[in-house]
Amino acid sequence: MTHPEMNELYELYLLGTLEPELASEIDSHVVDRCEYCGERLREAALVVAAMSGMAEQVDPPKHLRERVLASVRPRKQSTSWIYAVGGLVAACVILFAYTLWSANTARSLREEISALSQERDQLRSAVEVLSRPDTRMVQFGKQNAANGRVFLSSNGGVVFAGSQLPQLASDKTFQLWLIPGKGAPRSAGLFRANAQGAFVNVVPGPLNLTQIQAVAVSVEPRQGSPAPTTTPILVVSIG
Amino acid sequence: MISDRSEAELVEKLRNGDPDGLAAAYDRYGRVVYSLFLRITHDQSAAEDLVQELFLRLWNRRREFDATRGALGAWLLSIARNMAIDHLRSAQARFQSKLRPIDQTDTLRFSYKPSEPANVMDNVKAVQDALAELKPNHRKVLELAYFEGYSQSEIAARLEEPLGTVKSWMRAALERVRTAVKGGGNK
Repeated sequence: MTHPEMNELYELYLLGTLEPELASEIDSHVVDRCEYCGERLREAALVVAAMSGMAEQVDPPKHLRERVLASVRPRKQSTSWIYAVGGLVAACVILFAYTLWSANTARSLREEISALSQERDQLRSAVEVLSRPDTRMVQFGKQNAANGRVFLSSNGGVVFAGSQLPQLASDKTFQLWLIPGKGAPRSAGLFRANAQGAFVNVVPGPLNLTQIQAVAVSVEPRQGSPAPTTTPILVVSIG
Repeated sequence: MISDRSEAELVEKLRNGDPDGLAAAYDRYGRVVYSLFLRITHDQSAAEDLVQELFLRLWNRRREFDATRGALGAWLLSIARNMAIDHLRSAQARFQSKLRPIDQTDTLRFSYKPSEPANVMDNVKAVQDALAELKPNHRKVLELAYFEGYSQSEIAARLEEPLGTVKSWMRAALERVRTAVKGGGNK
């Protein structure tokens, strides 16, 4: 088929209404990038587009314009979804923080209860020592230095209380020692003074007072020592 | 500049991703494409869906248009016609689509030369005027091809006319339309 013979076929080709054998002939020209056919098809495309004028013109519904424009706007749902995920993440973070805080608070409360229970037991033991008829009291120290009293009961134990002990570094503690006439000193507990230097240490349980010559206080590492590692800062003779 | 100023500005806005460009395109071509969809599908709901899909396609391919070529309107109308015929054939499952894959082709096919009338809406109007002068049979074959997608053989069978007669009517109808488009409606 020659180009002039094809002139009347380009619109039908674009409309898809050309017989298959004729359409495939134009196809081959298109594939070969035939300049003549390219130009005729450009003209035919404009003719085919203008044929839409054969349709009776009808006004589209008013809402259609907004619908079309809305379809290219960013979707609110997507934004809401992002906010929802953001909110969920924030809620998770808050929940995690609350759980952590609760766990810390619970642990802190448990530690506080444990400390209070320990203090209560000490006071109970102290009251028991002080109320026994066999309890002996030894006073020690001077007004402007570490001073206090030692209460000793063969059945109740030892109460060591006083004031004006120096403040210690956080990794140190006071350790009370029972010094026998013979043998090594025996640990009688760890204690710290409060901000004013006051202190109470209770050693409950029966004691063989005849074997104890003195009580002493040394500064030891925080976890205590099996035997004094420093020179005692206080020695109270009870003999 | 080949196309008129407002069309060039419209295309420029579209290319820049400005939704006002799409709004302007709808204001300019929404009525003609809706009318086309309605004429082919005879279904208002389907016509609205197709209008939305058409402008979405335009938005997605907006960077392919050249503001100086005046191709936008012709492209929209050609794509619209193919979409509507595809919709019709899909709905009727009548036969496989024989349409040229026009929306896959380069948008440069839809362009005007400096010597040509640049506004596709002028061409549409010219075709409308030319239709009034077409013989009923000539107009009928053109409508069956354009709105229904029938081949000339199918038209001949449908009208119970010889294929040669149908081809002759089609040739005459297309020649009148071509002349109208090239002359901007002037005989």
